[in-house]
Amino acid sequence: MLTLLAVAAALGGGLPQMLVERRLAEAVPLHVGDTVSVRPLASGAALRPFVVAGVFERPADPSRISRNEFEVRLHLPDLQAMLPATDRVDRFAVVLAPGADPSPAARWIAGVAFGTAVFGSRDLAEESSSTFRVVSRFHHAIGIVTILASGIFLLCVMTIRVDERRRDMATLRLVGVSRATVFRAIVLEAIAIAVLGSAAGAGVGIVGARIVNAYYAHVYDTTLRFALVTPRIVLLAALLGLGLGAAAGALAAWRVVNVPPQRLGER
Amino acid sequence: MTRVIDARGVAKDYPYGGEAVHALRGVDLGVDAGEWISIVGPSGCGKSSLLNLLAGIDAPSSGTVELLGRPLHALREAERSRLRLREVGFVFQRFHLLAVLTAQENVELPMSEAGIGRAERRGRARELLEFVGLGHRVKHRPPHLSGGEQQRVAIARALANRPRVLFADEPTGELDRRTGEEILALFQRVNAEGTTMVMVTHDPGVAARAERTVEMADGLVVRDSGAKGGS
Repeated sequence: MLTLLAVAAALGGGLPQMLVERRLAEAVPLHVGDTVSVRPLASGAALRPFVVAGVFERPADPSRISRNEFEVRLHLPDLQAMLPATDRVDRFAVVLAPGADPSPAARWIAGVAFGTAVFGSRDLAEESSSTFRVVSRFHHAIGIVTILASGIFLLCVMTIRVDERRRDMATLRLVGVSRATVFRAIVLEAIAIAVLGSAAGAGVGIVGARIVNAYYAHVYDTTLRFALVTPRIVLLAALLGLGLGAAAGALAAWRVVNVPPQRLGER
Repeated sequence: MTRVIDARGVAKDYPYGGEAVHALRGVDLGVDAGEWISIVGPSGCGKSSLLNLLAGIDAPSSGTVELLGRPLHALREAERSRLRLREVGFVFQRFHLLAVLTAQENVELPMSEAGIGRAERRGRARELLEFVGLGHRVKHRPPHLSGGEQQRVAIARALANRPRVLFADEPTGELDRRTGEEILALFQRVNAEGTTMVMVTHDPGVAARAERTVEMADGLVVRDSGAKGGS
C-alpha cells in the first residue's frame, strides 16, 4: 500500500513515471506532468517523487465496486525499490498474449520461483465469484418465475380474447370455415401478441438497463454495467415469446374449436 | 324432381342435468330441388334443431340425413364444414356478421376460405351486394348498417359460394314488418333463380310466403302441406 503525500506543479525532468487511475486524478486532482511524492504505508521509508505520465480507467470489477480505494501503476523496478524486502512479493500478475496457453507459463514461473502457486485468471475468477454465482442463480430464478407468470398471463389474455369473440368464432364455423383454420388464426394471433410483447419487453429492458447503468455509474463512479440486455437475451425473449404464444394460443383455440358451432354463441 | 334433402327417422337428444332432452323424436322430411319450404311451430318444438341437422351444423343422435346425396350423419365435422362452405348457405336470425369487417369483406369471407382468388371474390362480392341492394354500402361495417341492411349482407354472404340450398333460421325475427317483407322478397328472387330454400319461422305470415309449410310440435312433424297424400 502506498500513500501519496504531496503534489507539486509540473516539474517532470528525469523522475520515474507513474500512471494514476481517472478517479484518483479527478479526486486530487492530478494532471499529466504533475509530480507526486509517494511512500509505502507499512514503513517509514522516505518519500519518492514520481511524475504523472498518464491517466487510466481501472477495469470494471464487481468485487471491488464498493471498496473506496484508488490505484496507481508504477514500473516494476520503482515499485521494487519502495518495498521493504526488494526480493519478496505477495502476488503478481502476468499478462499473456491473447490466445496463449497459460499452462507452460505457469510451469515456467513455478520452476523459476520455487514455492510459487500459479493460478489461471479463470480459476481465480471462479473462486472469487461464488457470491456472484448465487446472485446469478437468483436472477435465473426470477427470470423463470417471470416467464411462467407471463405465460399464464398470455394464456389468460388469449382465453379472454377468444371468449369475447365466441360469436365471431361461431359465425366462422357456421359459414363453413374449418376448425383447422380457426385454430390456426387464434394461434397466429397469440404468437403475434407474444412476439410484440417480447419486442416491447426487450425495448423496456434496454431503456431500463441504460437508466440503471447510468444511475450506478454515477453513484459508484464506475464503468461497470449492472444491467445487460445482450442480443442473446433479445433472441431468447423472441423465441420464448414465440413458444409461449403458440402454446397459449393452442390451449385457448383448443377450448373453442371443440365446442359445436351452434353452441359457440351461447354464454 | 331431384331430392336435395332426405331426412329419415331423425332424432336429437341433448343432455341436460343428467337426463336427455328429446328435441327431435323421429322426423321424416324430404325436400326437392328448387322448393321453398317453411318449418313452423311454437318456440321449443325443435324446428331450429332440425334446421341445424339438415344443414350439417349438428349431427343427429339417431336417424339419417342426406344433403345433396351426401350422408351427413356419417360425415366427420371437417367434411360437414366443407359441405357447408361449398354447397350450403345459412342466414341467421341475428345476422352473425363480423363487426370488424366491411360488408364486402364479410361477403368475401366464405369465398376466401374456399380458395377463390382475390379479384374474383371481390367482383362477386360487389355483384352480390348489388343484388341485395347494397351496392352503395360495400365499405360500411355492420355496426353502421341497419338491421335490414345487415340481413341483406348476411344473405349476400350466404350466396357467396353459389350454394344449392339456402337455410334461414328466423331471418325476419329481428326486423320490423316492412324490412322483413323486403328480405322475403329477396328470398323469392333467390328461390326463383333455382336455389332450394329451407326457412324456419314462428310467424305464420312469413311461413305463408313459402310454397310448402311443415308444421312441428314436440319434436315431431305434425303437418306437411307438401307431403304426398299427407295432411
